[in-house]
Amino acid sequence: MKRIVLATIFLASGIAAPKELPPEGSAPRPFHLAKPDDFVLPNGMKVTIVPYGVVPRIAVRAYVQAGALYEPADQVWISKLTAKLMKEGTATRSSEQLASEVADMGGQLEIDSGSDFMTAGGVVLSDAGPRFVALLADVLENAALPAARIDRLKTDLGRDLAVEKSAPQSLADERFLQVLYPNHAYGRVYPSDSALRGYTIEQVRAFYNGNFAGARTHLYIAGKLDSGLREAVRSSFGNWKAGTASNETPPAGVKARSMQVIDRPGAAQSTLYIGLPVLSPSSPDYIPESVMNALLGGSFASRITSNIREQKGYTYSPISMIGTRGRAAYWVEAADVTTAVTGPSMKEIFYEIDRLRKEAPGSPELRGIQTYMSGLFVLRNTMSADALIAQLHSVDSQGLDRSWLTSYVQKVNEVKPADIQRLAETELVPSKMTIVVVGDTSKIADQIKPYQQAPAQ
Amino acid sequence: MLKLFLIAVCALCLTTTAISADSFTVPVEYYTLPNGLKVILSPDSTAPTVVTAIYYRIGFRIEPRDRTGFAHLFEHMMFQGSQNLGKMEFIRLVQQNGGVLNGSARFDFTNYFEVLPSNKLETALWAEADRMKGLAITTANLTNQQGVVGNEVKVNVLNQPYGGFPWLWMPQYANTNWYNAHNFYGDLKDIEAAKLDEVQAFFKTYYAPNNAALAVVGDFDPHEAKAMIAKYFGAIPKADVPAMPDLDEPRQDKEKTVTHRDPLAPRPALAFAYHVPPRNTPEYYAMGLLNEMLAQGDDSLLYQELVKKRGYTGDLSASINELGNMFDYYGPMLWTVSLVHDASVSPRDIMNAADGVIERVASQPVDQKLLDRSVTKIRAELYDSMTQLGGFGRANLLACFALFDDDPARINTVETELRKVTPQLLQKTAREYLRPENRTVLIWEAGAPASGAVKSGGQQ
Repeated sequence: MKRIVLATIFLASGIAAPKELPPEGSAPRPFHLAKPDDFVLPNGMKVTIVPYGVVPRIAVRAYVQAGALYEPADQVWISKLTAKLMKEGTATRSSEQLASEVADMGGQLEIDSGSDFMTAGGVVLSDAGPRFVALLADVLENAALPAARIDRLKTDLGRDLAVEKSAPQSLADERFLQVLYPNHAYGRVYPSDSALRGYTIEQVRAFYNGNFAGARTHLYIAGKLDSGLREAVRSSFGNWKAGTASNETPPAGVKARSMQVIDRPGAAQSTLYIGLPVLSPSSPDYIPESVMNALLGGSFASRITSNIREQKGYTYSPISMIGTRGRAAYWVEAADVTTAVTGPSMKEIFYEIDRLRKEAPGSPELRGIQTYMSGLFVLRNTMSADALIAQLHSVDSQGLDRSWLTSYVQKVNEVKPADIQRLAETELVPSKMTIVVVGDTSKIADQIKPYQQAPAQ
Repeated sequence: MLKLFLIAVCALCLTTTAISADSFTVPVEYYTLPNGLKVILSPDSTAPTVVTAIYYRIGFRIEPRDRTGFAHLFEHMMFQGSQNLGKMEFIRLVQQNGGVLNGSARFDFTNYFEVLPSNKLETALWAEADRMKGLAITTANLTNQQGVVGNEVKVNVLNQPYGGFPWLWMPQYANTNWYNAHNFYGDLKDIEAAKLDEVQAFFKTYYAPNNAALAVVGDFDPHEAKAMIAKYFGAIPKADVPAMPDLDEPRQDKEKTVTHRDPLAPRPALAFAYHVPPRNTPEYYAMGLLNEMLAQGDDSLLYQELVKKRGYTGDLSASINELGNMFDYYGPMLWTVSLVHDASVSPRDIMNAADGVIERVASQPVDQKLLDRSVTKIRAELYDSMTQLGGFGRANLLACFALFDDDPARINTVETELRKVTPQLLQKTAREYLRPENRTVLIWEAGAPASGAVKSGGQQ
């Protein structure tokens, strides 16, 4: 290794002018996290208001404990159907009125169901902030859920379902989560079409009534703040019913080697998902684990991406990430690779995992990743009002103290090479990984066979 | 229909909202270096970050005729090595200084940008200048990126249901001039045939300071930035950039219908596209407002008709410029509306319903309130794009206005131009440009063909 480095320098100086080194830049300008104004309404609703930016826009997002996690096992996507129906009007506003009122504020009403939370809100011009808060409260508290609209919305969701399930990445994602979280909402990604068609307005109303309440909601407001927001929140949400906050125990997740193959005849690429449950954000080792992920496959210059993209040209956009579902977490490497090199791609991915488990990374490589993550942290907290809200919500929803944010950069920079190796060794155990391959089995069966069982340890 | 319309009008009457008084002026400092490099500086102290964006006036429209996809393949080669930065070193340099980067080929430009902590502005400027001076790449680098780009086309088009719908296919069907109508992602055969000397020649032809604009947005000192820009870019020589070929599209006088079969798609889809008025004309701004009024958001007229009233689709998407926005292009452009529907609804039914809506704005002047709402919507979008990705959205507009109009300060006058649009001009624009004869309808058939049916990509 040392010899190669020397040879390179010699060669470079022998044939051309010595290379110029990049300028270091100046001293860093200080970065201070925005200071949020946090308060709780008597009904238990949490509120966070935080200033951001100079452009007169304001993001308002309510996170309600009404995501897929709270769906009955036989009502997958009932939260999505509820989200759609909530846009169909309130006791006093028609859906057309909702749409045109918010458009006049320079925004759109957005209601989306995620794995844990339903988010409802939008981005509007700053001077419309208090009026938008009042409108959002009306939607959350007084949704009409008109029976006459449910058939059209189920047809729309059925179409969405068919379209989503035609993408190889969706199939891989679904199977991966099914295997990791059996008998749990996190493993139920899609309903069957026939189940979806059978959902009733009574089921939607039961889901809405059971989950939409003050104590199950955290409202975030970020942007160039106009006056009157606090008062608008208090008067609009003050009389909402309290309900009861949920505190779900996260599923452990399955750690066992299995190979899942989904046949897609004629596919030009194989979609690979390789991963397993790992330490969640509440662990003190989560930040070192995140650094490990960025170094291994979670960044452009990472080892796996350098290998299978920049050296081999097997793929365009490989990425590893730590996904979270509530307070559970999993690591996954996802890549769409040319069919003919499905086996070789898996070989290189496991080679890079094994290499990191056996040998701590060099200090310069780690230092580079640490600086990257420190810079990315600033970007993540400043890129937009919504990005700032997402950061605050991710910390709050994990039950972490806000000091997690203020000490993040320091903790990233305290990670040692040995920590990276240790976490790769304990968390990224190949014999416990689930492998999903969506591709043309007639062309890849032989290539993937060697990975069906984990090699002996 | 009449009843519904009355309710909608009434809802408008009850809305007490005046036009928002919120406003924002973008700081713009603009100058040109002696070698022709256009420079735009726009400070913003929201966060200690800085965007460095360089735009070259070489888009895929004007790539070589026998090398479709070349402008994009070339964009990949700009990350493969320059005089002082070897393969992967550019990417590592940005990443290890705490930043993110990307590059994109578009109709009329190719861009490269970094978002970094603001104290690393000099590092970014040095690196961009280094690769503007020349590439140090090998055949192995090219072979590698041919593999990567081939995989990019596979993951986004060939192995994807609705791959390229409608953004890649519609321009090919709706346009007639080769520059606007070829496969800009590239035929895999053309991508694989590219040679190293072609890459070097392309660089020499288009990658020169007098064919570029550099935008810096974020938390920096303009005096310091100017000195650094002069130091790193000032000595890079000009090049003779070839004159722009004739990009004009002839006036379309007959409706075109094209059928495309997608074996991977589970549901049919439909897109329709109209040639839009030339940039920066009064009709162009009117078209921008028509897009908002007709197809942007839940309140839009087509959404209300096709989604809410008829239930033909769950959502529709529409844009002037499927690969950006109505401001970041130069040549001829399309306004495209697209949606996925069920086999039980025919394309003809959908087009009839859409025509009914368009007739409403073409047959009489619209209500001023509807026009005001459209201005509000477009202004909101402009504001959002100005902060997008730490200021990259702002850099994008500034660089395009500099490159195409030599006037980045336009960023602050766009809204004034939109406000000049009257209900009468809007109606006139709808009549002339939203004619059926000015459009192409793309019928996207789902699933494997029945025996004897149209084959993949077939054209009627």
